[in-house]
Amino acid sequence: MFGYIRPFKPELLVREWESYRGIYCGLCKNLGRYYGWLSRLTLSYDCTFYTMILMSLRKEKPCYGAGHCVVNPLKKCSFCQNAEESFHQAAALSVLMTCFKLEDDLRDRGKGKIRARLLLPLSRRAQKRAKADFPWMDKIVTETMTAQNQVETEGQKMDACASPTAQMLGKILQHEGGESSSPLSRTLYEFGYFLGRWVYIMDAADDLEKDLESGSFNCLIRESGLTQKAGKEEFDSIRQKANASLNLTLSRLLAAFSLMDWTSFQSILQNIIEKGLPATQKELLFRKEEKE
Amino acid sequence: MTDPYQVLGVSPSATDEEIKTAYHNLAKKYHPDNYAGSPIADLASEKMKEINEAYDAVQAQRKNRGSGQQAGGYGGAYGGTYGYGGAQNSSFGDVRSYIMSGRISDAEQILDGVPGENRNAEWYFLKGTVLYKRGWLDEATNHFNRAVQMDPQNMEYRTAMNQIMNQRSGMYGGYNPNMTTGGGFTGCGACGDLMAADMCCECMGGNLCPCIGFR
Repeated sequence: MFGYIRPFKPELLVREWESYRGIYCGLCKNLGRYYGWLSRLTLSYDCTFYTMILMSLRKEKPCYGAGHCVVNPLKKCSFCQNAEESFHQAAALSVLMTCFKLEDDLRDRGKGKIRARLLLPLSRRAQKRAKADFPWMDKIVTETMTAQNQVETEGQKMDACASPTAQMLGKILQHEGGESSSPLSRTLYEFGYFLGRWVYIMDAADDLEKDLESGSFNCLIRESGLTQKAGKEEFDSIRQKANASLNLTLSRLLAAFSLMDWTSFQSILQNIIEKGLPATQKELLFRKEEKE
Repeated sequence: MTDPYQVLGVSPSATDEEIKTAYHNLAKKYHPDNYAGSPIADLASEKMKEINEAYDAVQAQRKNRGSGQQAGGYGGAYGGTYGYGGAQNSSFGDVRSYIMSGRISDAEQILDGVPGENRNAEWYFLKGTVLYKRGWLDEATNHFNRAVQMDPQNMEYRTAMNQIMNQRSGMYGGYNPNMTTGGGFTGCGACGDLMAADMCCECMGGNLCPCIGFR
């Protein structure tokens, strides 16, 4: 995944922020533990979010221990020590998703290709292990990512392009809900579907310039017929449109989120969905140029 | 039965005012407008029913104790038939009943079989409804828009279009770049917009928020 699902820090309580950090560092440790030190590089906000969702659904309360950061041994960090199974599962998703992302980069043009060629052989072993640990997850990821390549080669419109990624998250979350017709499972699918859709559109809007330059596939470019000669107004109009789609997606996401009973991390999860995602939209769609 | 206080998320020692606030917040959260056309609308309406029952139970308990003041709420005002009800003179009765019973792919199959020249405003509205349920939100917007263009007088199509435009504008969460407050969704702005939209809507004979009427 792409690191867009993060909390809005200014409105988190200090203890909530520390709790979040504890999960983030816990995931890093568990990535190393289950899939080798290199897989720690796949650590992302998105899979941290997935870990918290899993823990909350399984009614696991986090226990924190003190330790040192592996990347920077001088830095102290507290990390979550329990809920191994949730961390293991999130670590596997992190590895599987990254491998697909690398394979995707290999097909696209641009700088990512060189990096992908270097990293992909190194990640094969971790990928194999993750596949063996969670065959159901591998099945969902493989099926939907194959469908993703398919719709992108066909050059379909945005809804069709976003659908496989949306379905992937929908199905992965639905897996926690038991029988597919149960209220929990239906709500989780809806939640995952719109989260995946949001991430896909966000990613396309964020990569607009980069993809235009490198000529990689981007559904927003395809749909609008944007060319390198396009002026600021054309970019702005695409961003406005993407923002409206993201808002609409988020309204469905929020509706599903409200129907769930979150036992742990309720306030942090709420912060991420209600404030973090809109803040990401604002930052990446309307503030990027000002920075540059 | 589950503890009604727990359903409302308040302690039994809460004041009447606190309970009323908690109830209003929950009722706003699970309001049928937020779930119109969504495949999990039934779950939201169950939740709404649960909250209404809990509120009524708490009211009754307090009244018996003699401490309660008459605090009105949404009561049973919400009947569960929002928006996409059956229209009279529908040429797609079968599609409508499939949609109502959640058989989306059956509905879509019939719609897709309709030849181009027979695709009227209702066809675009129903196809939009199906797309919306499936999560194909951009196409849904286009279809609702087309339905409204073809039959601007139809309130059913206009309600769906208004709803989706409000969602796009960030009224139900998200980011609105034209809002001065920044930082995304703010209750105040959304509420103001909603009131304004409701007034506009009422001028034309509709009601955007039928249940936000305090007794």
